Parts: sequence; C-alpha cells; structure tokens
Amino acid sequence: MSVSLEHYLILSALLFCIGLYGALSRRNTIVILMSIEIMLNAVNVALVAFSRYIVPLVLTGQVFALFVMVVAAAEVAVGLAIIIALYRSRETVDVEQADLMKG
Amino acid sequence: MSLKLELLTPELSLLIFALLVILLDLGIKQKKVLAGVSILGLLVSGGFVLTLWGRESASAFNGMFLVDPFALFFKLLFLIAAGLVILASQDYVSKFARFQGEYYALILISAIGMMLLATTGELISIYIALELSSISLYILTGFLKDPKSSEAGLKYLLLGAVASATLLYGMALVFGLTGKTRLTEIAQAIQTIPLTTLLDSPALLLGIILLACGFGFKIACVPFQMWVPDVYEGAPTPITAYLSVASKAAGFAVIARFFYTTFGVPDWLSLNWGILFASLSAITMTLGNVIAIAQTNIKRMLGYSSIAQAGYLMVGLAAVGVASMADTLGRSGLLFFLASYTLTNLGAFIAIIAISNKIDSDLIDDYTGMGSRAPLLALGLTLCLISLIGLPPTAGLIAKIYIFNAGVHYGLLWLVVIGVINSCISAYYYLGVVKVMWLGAPVSEEKVPSSWALRIVLALTCLGVLVLGIIPGKFVQIAETAVRIFTS
Amino acid sequence: MLTDYGYVGLFLIIAILFAVSMPLLPLTLSLLGLVPKKPNPIKTSTYECGVETIGKTWVQFNFRYYFYALLFVVFDILIVFLFPWATKLKQLGAGAFVAVLAFLLILMVGYIYAWMKRVLEWK
Repeated sequence: MSVSLEHYLILSALLFCIGLYGALSRRNTIVILMSIEIMLNAVNVALVAFSRYIVPLVLTGQVFALFVMVVAAAEVAVGLAIIIALYRSRETVDVEQADLMKG
Repeated sequence: MSLKLELLTPELSLLIFALLVILLDLGIKQKKVLAGVSILGLLVSGGFVLTLWGRESASAFNGMFLVDPFALFFKLLFLIAAGLVILASQDYVSKFARFQGEYYALILISAIGMMLLATTGELISIYIALELSSISLYILTGFLKDPKSSEAGLKYLLLGAVASATLLYGMALVFGLTGKTRLTEIAQAIQTIPLTTLLDSPALLLGIILLACGFGFKIACVPFQMWVPDVYEGAPTPITAYLSVASKAAGFAVIARFFYTTFGVPDWLSLNWGILFASLSAITMTLGNVIAIAQTNIKRMLGYSSIAQAGYLMVGLAAVGVASMADTLGRSGLLFFLASYTLTNLGAFIAIIAISNKIDSDLIDDYTGMGSRAPLLALGLTLCLISLIGLPPTAGLIAKIYIFNAGVHYGLLWLVVIGVINSCISAYYYLGVVKVMWLGAPVSEEKVPSSWALRIVLALTCLGVLVLGIIPGKFVQIAETAVRIFTS
Repeated sequence: MLTDYGYVGLFLIIAILFAVSMPLLPLTLSLLGLVPKKPNPIKTSTYECGVETIGKTWVQFNFRYYFYALLFVVFDILIVFLFPWATKLKQLGAGAFVAVLAFLLILMVGYIYAWMKRVLEWK
C-alpha cells in the first residue's frame, strides 16, 4: 500500500474539521487562533498534495502554500495585538466574557 | 514579456502614498497634512484610473492582473469611498490623536487591497488581495482604545480568519480539480472534464459552496452575517461606513468576476450557483429587515439594514448565475446598485458621525428633535434613509428598479416579489428614524454644530444620491459599459 | 512495501524496550542491594545542579516580550520569500532582483516605523 493523493486529502479534511471544531467550540481566544492556524495548515497540506499529484511539473500549489503561511503569520500577529489590547482593558482572553455588545 | 507597469499605476501610486503617509507621520507634528496627503494619493490614483478608462482591456503578469471596465469601475468606487471616509473622519480622529498617520495609511492600504481584489483573475492573488484589505480593516475596527472597539476587532478577526480559511479550502479543491489557478484556465479545464465525472465527484460543488461561504462573509449575507452588528457597533463610525460600503462592494466585485468567469459555463453549473445565491438573497433580505425593526442603536440598525441591502444586491448575482453568459442586466444592475448604495450609505453614516459625535450617543431615541437642532444634518440623513427604502426622487429607487428588472428579465419573479415586500417592511424602521428626528420633541434647544469637512462630504453624497436618482441615464450607460469582464 | 512497515515496527519495539529498561535497571539494582542508598538534601533536590528556584514558576512575562515576538514573526516571514529567490538568483535575473528590492523597500518602511516609534528599545 502506497501513500496516494486520497490519503493526503483525508488527512487535510480531518485537520480542517479539527481546526473548525476548535475555532467554533473553544473559549480561549489564543486557542481559537491556534485552531485557525490548523485550518490553514490543512489547506496547505491539500494544496501541496494536489500540486504534487495533479500537476507535478509546476509548483503552483507549493507557492500558494508559501503565501498562505505568510498571510497566516500576518493575521496571527494582528490577532495577538488585538488580544493584547483587549487584555489590557478587560483582563481576560475568554471570548465568553467579550460580550459588551449583544442583540 | 513586457511588464506593462502602466496598467498597475493606480495601485502603485496609492501604495507609494500610503508609505509616504507612514513616513511623514514620524516627522510631522501637524497631522492635518497627513489627511491632505492621503486625499492627494487617492486623487492621483483616481487620475490614473481615468487614463486607463476607455482603453482596450488588457492583462499583465500572465493574466493575473486584469484591467477591464469592470475592474476600473470598482477601483473608482473604492477610491471615492476611501476619500469620503477620510474626509468624514476629520472630527473623529481627535479620539486617537497620536495614531492618525496609521489610520489614514491603513485606509489607503485596505483600498489597495480592494482594488486588487476587483482586478485580479488568479486564485493566489485573489487570496492575497482579500487578506490585504481584510487585515487592514481588522486593525481599523479595533483602532479605538475602548474595550468595545477591541472586542469588535477581535470578533471580526476571528470570524474573518475562519471564513478565509474556508475560502482557501474551496480554492484548494478547485485548484486540485483543474490543476490551474488562473480563472480563465480553470473555466477551460472545467469545460473539458466530462460531465459524468463532474457530476460523480462532489469536489467541484463542494468547492463552489466553500467559496460562496468565504466570499459570503465578506458581503455579510446570511448565514455569515453574525459579525455585522457587533463589528458595526464597536468600530469607529467612519470605519463602519467604510466596511459597510467598500468592503461589501469588493466582495461583490470578486464574486461577480470569479463565478462569472470560472463557473459561467456550462449552463447547468451556472444555474446551480444562481439558484444558491437567489435563495441566500431571499433569506438575507428578510432576516436583515426583520431584525432591523427591533434595533434601538442606529449603528446596529444600519448594520442590519446593510445586511438587507446585501440581499437586494444578491438578486443581481442570482440573475448573473441564472442567465450565465447571456447576462448583461444582472451585472450592470449590480454595478449601478453598488454605486447608489455606496453614496447613500456613506451619506447616512456621515450624518450619524456628525450627530453622534456631538450628542455622544448612538441611540435612536436620542435623535429626537434633530430636525430643529441640526436641520441640515437631519435633512441629509432623511434623504439617505429615503434612498435606502427606494423612494423617489433618489438613487435608491432607480437602483432597485434596475436590479429587480434584471431579476424579472431572467425569470426570478418570485425573488423580486420577496424583494418588493421587503422594501415595504424596511420603510417601517427607516421612516421610524425620520419620524423621531422631525416629529419628536427635542431634549434640548442646543444646536448640534458640525465641521465644514463633514458638511461638504454630506452635501456631496446627497448631491450624488439626487443626481443618480433624477438623471440616471448617463450613469446607467457607464454601468452598462463597465459590465465587460475580461475573459481571454 | 510491507517490509518497510516491518522495519518501522521493529524500530518501535526496540524503542519501547529501551525506554522501559532504562528506569527499570536502577530500580532492580537497588532492590538487589547492589547500589548503596545514602540520601542527602542536595542529592534529593529536584535539580541536582544549577540554581535553586526562587518563588513560583508561573510568573507573568513582561508585556514587552510580546511586542518583540510580534515584530519577530513579521520580519521572520520575510525569509520565506527571500530564500527561494536567493537560491535561484542567477536564473531569475534583473526583473526578480528589482521586485525583491521593491518588496524589501516596503518592509523597510515598516522597520523604520518600528524604529522611530521606539518599539525596538527596551524601556
């Protein structure tokens, strides 16, 4: 049995679902950010696998994955900065307590 | 291969001005200069857009960067929106006097992101452009020091990141199915795949749904609308205005181009997503309007109203899908509606910025008697609200007729009926604000002063709303020119 | 193919055996009385070498570290783009060189910004 495209896609789908579940169910904002990273990395796995198996001669998928990584880093940097700002005023990183606005 | 840098001049010039604003901010004490430099940058960029208008559609970077009337129309729209928002921020920026440079620079950078979003025809650059505009908007949303703003920024960021990850997964599936990232090549690849293979594999449909989810977040359609009220309430009001018009327009631009170019043929595929958008449209406008009735905070009310307006706009998208390649009315209706909506909603927000900043409240009840305290502002707000309902003599009426006409023309009568019923529902809460302002007793006799910048911007938007409403012919023509999407 | 997994399985078994035997070895030796048992305070302390810990381990980090971490992440990512370019520097030619220069210029503005805002200094 060799590792084929399906295996990578199943891995990627599982990772994506784990990340999505984490992002929607966890309360700690840092953990939510980490879950989002898992989702993005799941996409990266799929992109690189597709690139390797569907179009082995061009590196589009790999390049796409690089860009995703860079954008993810920027997103996390901004996310952490906003969390710090919120922490300074509220002394919490719990999303359930970030509830000033409702309705 | 030549670089054809002249095609990129609008974005490049704006980028240079954005960097200039950041650098000038470090040395200059007089922060008003920064607003001037930003406006100058927008004007220069707008000038470059106008020089490109009317030329042959062209592409640069191997079809990654498409310059067609469709893209140029949106670029102008974003530049106008950014300019009006910067002018409207003149009073507001005193709340964060130390960080004005960053504020203007981020508005410019997000405008660059949106312009790129309207002009790219390739998956990677669509993603980068989307994130460039979104990340700047996350920061701007959390710009104020108060916890509400940080909270809004955090919610926007977390939900936005989840949405963009979903979008990416859809892109990965489409890429995996076709092995291409350029939209036109993907379209060709889809046409060469045998029909049975396409129907057997869920990859394409799943990809389309995931893409619709990701972009749906950007335009705030149901069921991805939950971030809207909180973010709109917490964000600085000029940024709320910017979010509600420019960011939404960028979302529509990219959806229209992406789905039209990539999934436009074969017809059954196009019909599928047309129906998807039609049903989402019906739910979106109904939900937005019904919840808006119960709101007491005017920013939240306009938030839900903007969800409802997204629903009307999606009638255009549905028409594009149903008619597929035969469509022109759907796209031109979408463009005209977006232009009218941009002016109208910006006008409404500008009036709210002027009033709320002085009375220090966003509650609708506190607007009582504004007709006598600030007659000009109240008049402007009334005009914009009337246009949002779609009553004469405003742009909103023409826009609605135009886009509903497209719906009827391509056989979406049921959707148009729902749209008209919704317009009637929406009149209730829009007119509620008008009633409070003109018929309510003022809480104090004190006048509400406003700065010249706000007055000029409000006058400009109101003039735009009236001109689009009374003599729409020329602008309909422009919208019809601008439907040409570059596809070769 | 299966033999490949066989090697992995063998490796796994050896690893587990090794890991189990390491703590068991001294225990059996001391049970058999082969090693002397002479505890003293220094020998039984958690860290036999190094400095004694003072206070609780769960102290809060200084806020400033986060700024450094954030800046580090942003500028660190730069290398993702520079590395592929640098490895193919000659083939990519002048066009890519100019593009990378433009990219660095934009990042430089960010760097100057951080510098002038005194984010890089420890206050």
